Amino acid sequence: MKVDKTLVASVALHVLVIGWGLVSFSARSLEAPPPESMPVDIISADQLSKITAGSKTGEKEKPKPLVEKVAEAKPVDDTAGKVTEKPEVKTEAAPEPPPKPVEKPVEKKPDPPKPVAKHEPKDEPKPIEKKPDPPKVDPIAEALKKDEAKKPKPKPQAKAAPPKPPEPKRERTFDSSKIAALLDKRDPTRHAATGEQLNSTASLGAAHGTAATLSQSELDALRARLTKLWNVQAGSEHPEELIVDIRIRLTPDKRLAAPPEVVSRGSSPRYRAAADAAMRAVLQAQPYDMLRPGTYEQWKDMIVTFDPRQMFNG
Amino acid sequence: MPLMSSFPSAMSLTRRHALIGGAGVAAGLLLPSLARAQTRLQVTEGNVAPLPIAIPNFVPGTPSDGEVSNGVAQVITNNLKRSGLFAPIDQAAFIEKITNIDSAPQFANWKSINAQALVTGRMTRQGDGRLKAEFRLWDVASGQQLTGQQYFTSPEYWRRIAHIISDQIYERLTGEKGYFDSRVVFVDESGKAQHRVKRLALMDQDGANVRYLTRGSDLVLTPRFSPSTQEITYMEFGQGDPRVYLFNIETGQREIVGNFPGMSFSPRFSPDGQRIIMSLQQGGNSNLFVMDLRSKSTTRLTDTPAIDTSPSYSPDGGQICFESDRGGKPQIYIMPAGGGQANRISFGEGSYSTPVWSPRGDYIAFTKMGGGQFAIGIMKPDGSGERILTSGYHNEGPTFAPNGRVLMFFRDTGPGPSLFSIDISGRNELKVPTPGFASDPAWSPLLS
Repeated sequence: MKVDKTLVASVALHVLVIGWGLVSFSARSLEAPPPESMPVDIISADQLSKITAGSKTGEKEKPKPLVEKVAEAKPVDDTAGKVTEKPEVKTEAAPEPPPKPVEKPVEKKPDPPKPVAKHEPKDEPKPIEKKPDPPKVDPIAEALKKDEAKKPKPKPQAKAAPPKPPEPKRERTFDSSKIAALLDKRDPTRHAATGEQLNSTASLGAAHGTAATLSQSELDALRARLTKLWNVQAGSEHPEELIVDIRIRLTPDKRLAAPPEVVSRGSSPRYRAAADAAMRAVLQAQPYDMLRPGTYEQWKDMIVTFDPRQMFNG
Repeated sequence: MPLMSSFPSAMSLTRRHALIGGAGVAAGLLLPSLARAQTRLQVTEGNVAPLPIAIPNFVPGTPSDGEVSNGVAQVITNNLKRSGLFAPIDQAAFIEKITNIDSAPQFANWKSINAQALVTGRMTRQGDGRLKAEFRLWDVASGQQLTGQQYFTSPEYWRRIAHIISDQIYERLTGEKGYFDSRVVFVDESGKAQHRVKRLALMDQDGANVRYLTRGSDLVLTPRFSPSTQEITYMEFGQGDPRVYLFNIETGQREIVGNFPGMSFSPRFSPDGQRIIMSLQQGGNSNLFVMDLRSKSTTRLTDTPAIDTSPSYSPDGGQICFESDRGGKPQIYIMPAGGGQANRISFGEGSYSTPVWSPRGDYIAFTKMGGGQFAIGIMKPDGSGERILTSGYHNEGPTFAPNGRVLMFFRDTGPGPSLFSIDISGRNELKVPTPGFASDPAWSPLLS
């Protein structure tokens, strides 16, 4: 029977298609909820495509165009984080800056300046050519006003070097930055730090509209780090009273941009002790190496909940 | 940027096409992290590990204060270590020597040896002969001072100062009340098994400063502290029947509590210290009575043809837990402090005795016998949540630390009894040092 053949064929095809659909769909749904995974760095095709897509513009991880953002904001952020770390370095660097800027502006005003700046991390003054740099120079100069020797140097450079752009910038920065500098002036150091951060941020921001998503493996790695460092008091009664939320703001170089902040509420001594313990874990977890620069937008500001209930109720 | 991407989808929804709107929603679902909301992370597991703490020797204020400065640090170290919640770091590992407590330590030096907390202090003999003790507790990770105090005392009380500082550290880092500034009264046992000499003895919670309160001519049992920590009530076998006595620690005076026909035993103070509750023998049975220490008036609380004994008040004084065999085997019952309906709360296998209410009110500790084993356990006042902390050939007589987190009890493995302490979580069982055999411990409230 001819009809039978076609019928059979169509039935068989339908069964195949539906069966395939069932299998493939059911398989997906099963895979969907991956619970707690190990902190392995696996990059999915999705992430890969995003990363590569970003790479076109993103190749320049250290371009300075992005500096504009950071210029004003950074002094504030950095003040909290990096007060102690690099004070001496700047003092050393301070004297040097004058020569470098002079050379660069004269020789390489157009394109090359950026790479040069990168090679010499401590010479932030170099960037002076561009807009972001002038502000930096000013705070330092102000901070060092006491050291008269330094002031004169930067000014002559600007004049001698060239152009009009640097001067107007100075004036702008002078006003706004003076305030910041007065408040923060101890830390010419921060400047150096900001310089580095600026670059990295720039690369991230420059990327494109499709920001990368924070991967599960990154989150798991972060969770694993905090789990390892979170010291929970033995035999705690009523653990439900000890749940602590901590807000963490990070700089692009994966360190705390500001002291972590307890955003949950509690006033009992036990809660305070629990909050301290969570805080210790967050502070000790620095630097947060497991986070990728590409996902900075997602991890620059996070809320981490430390919840001990499972440990004592189970 | 995330804002930019979600905005157009909302626009399209308002316009008309559900399809486009749906696409926008789908995109939102696929990329939830693009939403402006902050990334949230749950951490539900941590380390239940003792907190590493560095306790360098205190700085001597004058050259002659070196001994006491080291001693205070040692006492604090020992206290925190024995609590099981802290892991004091060996002083040999220290990189920095603290020479001045008025300036902040170099926290990097303490981070590098993994200290999470740091205690610095100074002991200085004053011109008037008193001893000045100062200490600071630092959080190493944040560089913050968590607490700091100074005290003045007579030089001979330096150990108490060390205990008080220990309590401050414990309270700040755990959020629980401390228990180090407290004492334990117990029955010191010496001599051969057939002729045991039992003396009432008093010591600091850590086993130091042992004092003997009685000479051992009479048998003493079940000492209990008053809330004022100045008096002890206990049972003594003299020439006649066992009697309940009251003993003043400061003056050494003792007196019989009441004058009852037959035995009186298993006394305990009420939380306000104004009354003593105890068992009085009545023929082959015993019932609970309470005596007001001022008016000397006695009130009967139970009237049963059974043995009711080992009464203990709840911390608010409103209820009493006690042991009774009215149901056949000894079990734990609870009733109002003024007497009335008693409800049985222990229903496990075996029998239960020596109930004692936690000063925190959340648990009742007991001795449980069954299957040839004596166990120490706790349960909630409603009888739920029974937890056996330790069991073996002979364990008996639990007593709570002032903060209700630690129990002390005595164990006899054959030659004679010794004192042990254990966390109410069942962790950290430790032998308590005593000069000889020891039994029947009772923990005092905090002294200050």
